[in-house]
Amino acid sequence: MTTAAMQFIVAEDDASPRADGNVAVEAGTTALIDWSEWLRLRADWPADLRASVALPNDLDIDETLADLGRFGRIALRFPKWTDGRAYSQARLLRVRHRFTGELRAMGDVIADMAAQLHRTGFDAAVLRPGESVEVAQRMLGLIRVFYQGDAHERRLRFARVEATA
Amino acid sequence: MYRYSEFDHQFVRQRAAQFRDQLTRHLAGTLSADDFGHMRRQNGWYVQRHAPMARVAIPYGTLSSTQMRALARIARNHDRGYGHFTTRTNIQFNWIPLERAADVMDELAEVGMHGIQTCGNCIRNITADAFAGIARDEVADPRPFCEIMRQWSSLHPEFAALPRKFKIAVNGALEDRAATAWYDVGLQLRRNEAGELGFQVRVGGGMGRTPMIGSVIREFLPWPQLLAYLEAVLRVYNEFGRRDNIWKARIKVIVKAFGAEFTHKVEEEFAAILGNDGDGVAPLISEAELARVAAHFETPKGVADQAASTSVVASLDESPAYRRWRQRNVHPHRLAGHCAVTLSLKRPGQAPGDTTDRQMDAAAELADHFSAGELRVTHQQNLVLPWVREADLHRLWLEARESSFATPNVGLLTDMICCPGGDVCSLANARSIPVSAHIAERFDDLDELHDIGDISLNISGCINSCGHHHSGHIGVLGVDKDGEEWYQVTLGGTDGAGGHGPAAPGRVLGPAFRDSEIPDVIESLIETYLARRQGAGERFIDTFRRLGVEPFRAAANRARRDVAEPALVE
Repeated sequence: MTTAAMQFIVAEDDASPRADGNVAVEAGTTALIDWSEWLRLRADWPADLRASVALPNDLDIDETLADLGRFGRIALRFPKWTDGRAYSQARLLRVRHRFTGELRAMGDVIADMAAQLHRTGFDAAVLRPGESVEVAQRMLGLIRVFYQGDAHERRLRFARVEATA
Repeated sequence: MYRYSEFDHQFVRQRAAQFRDQLTRHLAGTLSADDFGHMRRQNGWYVQRHAPMARVAIPYGTLSSTQMRALARIARNHDRGYGHFTTRTNIQFNWIPLERAADVMDELAEVGMHGIQTCGNCIRNITADAFAGIARDEVADPRPFCEIMRQWSSLHPEFAALPRKFKIAVNGALEDRAATAWYDVGLQLRRNEAGELGFQVRVGGGMGRTPMIGSVIREFLPWPQLLAYLEAVLRVYNEFGRRDNIWKARIKVIVKAFGAEFTHKVEEEFAAILGNDGDGVAPLISEAELARVAAHFETPKGVADQAASTSVVASLDESPAYRRWRQRNVHPHRLAGHCAVTLSLKRPGQAPGDTTDRQMDAAAELADHFSAGELRVTHQQNLVLPWVREADLHRLWLEARESSFATPNVGLLTDMICCPGGDVCSLANARSIPVSAHIAERFDDLDELHDIGDISLNISGCINSCGHHHSGHIGVLGVDKDGEEWYQVTLGGTDGAGGHGPAAPGRVLGPAFRDSEIPDVIESLIETYLARRQGAGERFIDTFRRLGVEPFRAAANRARRDVAEPALVE
């Protein structure tokens, strides 16, 4: 079993600038661009610049497929932490469509979501103000055995056992 | 019975440790009540009127005597000495202080039990026919599939924050004893023309404010693809289920709103899972896995040996009490010389489904002596001993009577399904237990009950429908009118079992009644049935269907006491 690894960012420390029309470049990718903004910019977007886009959580992932290779980071939104639509989006991007860039959880993201975020394919999360990175790291490792496949171990538990039998 | 592997034990222990961490943070004030609320609910802890309510899962209703004794200990040491078996085959405790929640979870984990996903917006405990694996009319045993689904759905990372709760029921017999049409997903085992085993899949059944019968979206799904298909259904639900209105958030709402498009979306997603995901990602059930799990559900060794050599010795006891009990509480079995026995949890002085710690211990004792250590919890809130030798019946009857388990009323008027209601539940609009008690008192004559015959009376304290009032031949629903408890009565509902026709919601009789009127209303309905039935063979539901609602409505209205007299027309 590989150790789960995720980057947790406290909201106050999240320096990623928001797009305001002037797209800034940071760390190899751009500032976060909303999906609607991307649709406006995509035709003229430079071929060598990987974009960071934020998707609404009711967007059909299929609509992003043509552009996936142009994204270095995709941010998925949790308007409330109990609204799990972005888990399905992440799973589809990571497992079905093999997205290799960063998948970042944003919005009402709490420490106790850590394991689910990691297992559905997120590798970064901006925690809601007041949430503890330490708790998030701990919650990532408290449960270490799972029945289902996930973004990392794709097989069901019994398929893993059968494969080693 | 399924026996936990070391992996299963590890899983529930780690989940219990996670819950302890969350509870500790909550009690220390670093995890808000609101956030913690969602976490405790997905571990089975509600906050109710007096204390949190703990709901413990009894997967597909199957319980060992060891587990039953653990439940008895929890009732004795942490609660006020009793628990409540529910129509979804869980058990609820109502008086455990929240501070002890993590300890209780540890104790449950010791016997392979938990409260994981018994509440909250996730995949809930999966239910099945209480006679699974022993019924004569069984196509295939649903329990191995239930266990495979239990494992698959436990902490599924993608489906932990659904729009609303999600319930799955499986039936393996010709008669639907699992009320599958009333579930978010109802699975019916069947064979296709080639003799292969699979499922008919219904989606979008449910009770609540808008009772709905599930729609068949797949006539035949080969069993290896079961989890893949469920994944497709849940992914469509997670994406499109409504999150703007809690009353419209169940999957039934989009099944109805989308119509054929819903099936199309599911099938499209299903094809994508089987196709694009590829490389072992699709969660297909292997032959080996089904065989591994099914081995847990083989006929208990001792039972199989006896079945071959048993010669039935009929008891000489011809007393009416024993005869009635045999008639109502003893059920046919696929094995010669064997039967299943219902221990009725509907008896005077105790709320339907309620069981004391001593009764739980006694039930465990009966299971050990007479039923290979196994018990079942039924959709009707009774217990079943699934492996009883016919030769032992009389002795079992005598012992069951000692613990008030032998009321011969299975399937009769007093075998009510009833939620805990306003006495303990903070969601309820009205109390349901006193209503059931008053009805039970009114109909305490066994001759009369047996004469009335097959009927179901289901009582819910609010529209959440935990007492399945929609599917009762007679349904009683508690409603709030200006702070007072009133009760709406429905007639003609069915759950799909008992040869009472396909599942259907009951029809509302009219304005609600006062609580004091309800026993009279029920009596009027029963009198009307008895007076107008065509011979004793015509059951209540048949008479209702033949006559329609009007004569019953008129009878019920005669029981109204404080409706103003209609003004005389000059």
